[in-house]
Amino acid sequence: MDPRAKIMAMLIMLVAIFFPSGWTGYAVIFCCVAGVILLAKLSFGFIWKAMRPMLFMLLFLLIVNMAVVNTGTVLFSIGTWHIYSDAIFQTLYIAVRLLLMIMITTVLTATTKPLDMTLGIEDLLKPFEKIHVPAHEIAMLISIALRFIPDLIEETQRIMKAQESRGVDLKEGKMKERIMAILSLIVPLFVSAFQRAEDLANAMEARGYAPGEKRTRYKVLKMTGRDWMLLAGASLVLIAMIWLAYGR
Amino acid sequence: MSHVYSDGTPYRYAALTDVNLEISEGKMTAIIGATGSGKSTLVQHLNALLLPNEGTVYILDRTITAGEDPKHLKSLRGSVGLVFQFPEYQLFEETVLKDVAFGPKNFGFSPEECEQKAKAALALTGIDPSYYERSPLELSGGQKRRVAIAGILAMDPSVLVLDEPTAGLDPAGTAEMMKLFHHLNHDLHKTVLIVTHDMEQVYAYCDDVVVMENGKARLHAAAREFFRDGATCTKMGILPPAIIHMKDLLKEKGFTVDDSVSTVEEMAACIAAQVKRRG
Repeated sequence: MDPRAKIMAMLIMLVAIFFPSGWTGYAVIFCCVAGVILLAKLSFGFIWKAMRPMLFMLLFLLIVNMAVVNTGTVLFSIGTWHIYSDAIFQTLYIAVRLLLMIMITTVLTATTKPLDMTLGIEDLLKPFEKIHVPAHEIAMLISIALRFIPDLIEETQRIMKAQESRGVDLKEGKMKERIMAILSLIVPLFVSAFQRAEDLANAMEARGYAPGEKRTRYKVLKMTGRDWMLLAGASLVLIAMIWLAYGR
Repeated sequence: MSHVYSDGTPYRYAALTDVNLEISEGKMTAIIGATGSGKSTLVQHLNALLLPNEGTVYILDRTITAGEDPKHLKSLRGSVGLVFQFPEYQLFEETVLKDVAFGPKNFGFSPEECEQKAKAALALTGIDPSYYERSPLELSGGQKRRVAIAGILAMDPSVLVLDEPTAGLDPAGTAEMMKLFHHLNHDLHKTVLIVTHDMEQVYAYCDDVVVMENGKARLHAAAREFFRDGATCTKMGILPPAIIHMKDLLKEKGFTVDDSVSTVEEMAACIAAQVKRRG
């Protein structure tokens, strides 16, 4: 599928979430996104793992809300301190929105290859080139960074082994020793990364690359019927949310 | 012993299988073989950077058995100095002297002792004192490499393992490097292991040869035996040194070349003598 359609659909859905469309609204969005997840054959366990880091924060939020919110019906009281129903509802609202956000973005990242995503971002940013947003450069930056991640990981391991051979202990040791140990990893890594960057820049230039010039694409993005349907569906959801929030 | 990378994942790769080797102390041994034959993996077991999946590694006074979780590996790292390929990439300190002193520092020596050891190591590798306070990153490639090697020598290991130490060096640099290793082995009695592709150097300097192929140790012999003629080399898929190739060619053409001929000068004398005789 065309990554541009996917990115746009994701953005539209994200905007849709933030309209106060009530529980009906959230139920509708939830069903739509769940449907997409099932279609994409992703597992819900995956989503749960992405959610887990947030749970702690939500718990904290709940406690803050319980202390601060004074509207709604009183659920129970401890002495002079009352806990209102709205505290729980508001936290729940935020939790549900968070869940939906995570579900939507996860669907995007799990179903799109990084390089396709970069192409999509580049095309979507193109209209902004008129206000001097360097769309092409940003996309090139992202794709180069992605391409070098495995290389940098390998380099890190190599350097770790070399320094371990000189007696560096990465697991134990006093604070000062540990800092030196990390320094002995970071400095060579940076030096090597900068060297790679310079070599790559020279190699690209030697093959005629010049950022400002017009270039043709190896991969051409085409919107198909499915892509338009996705966009239409997302837009419908957005309209429905706005109606549920304000139209009734 | 054996070593498997990423066991239990789809990326499982048996780098070493049933390797049974006994490397002699005090000798200079070359480890040769095609790329991917397991040389680097083998060599990393010697200072316990890698642990065997099966079998046992006996190094100096330590025994490392597969499945165990060995403690105090750091002491081993000080006695078995491992120099990786392109070691210049591990330099990071502010000055050359500090970088070389980094090794001894990790083993708890006093700052004075560290400096002493560093200076001794730098002298060994031929780095002039005027470079001591410069940044290691400013030096030329060859100098950086010598500083990196000095960094390992400063720990005064009794075993020195080098992974392709002459890679990327010019002939003069290569010769200097090999002379250094010869000195360390012959005069300072260190056990030296060199992983290399350079048969000329193996022929000129090494006592023993280990040939690795596809994760197995195919041959472990004295260099003199291995290089007696080109046949053994070629059977192992290795290009013999030029002088051996020359010997074979001369023998084919009817010349008699004694096995003891091992330098260009001796070869020239041998040929000259026989040409004169034939008139």
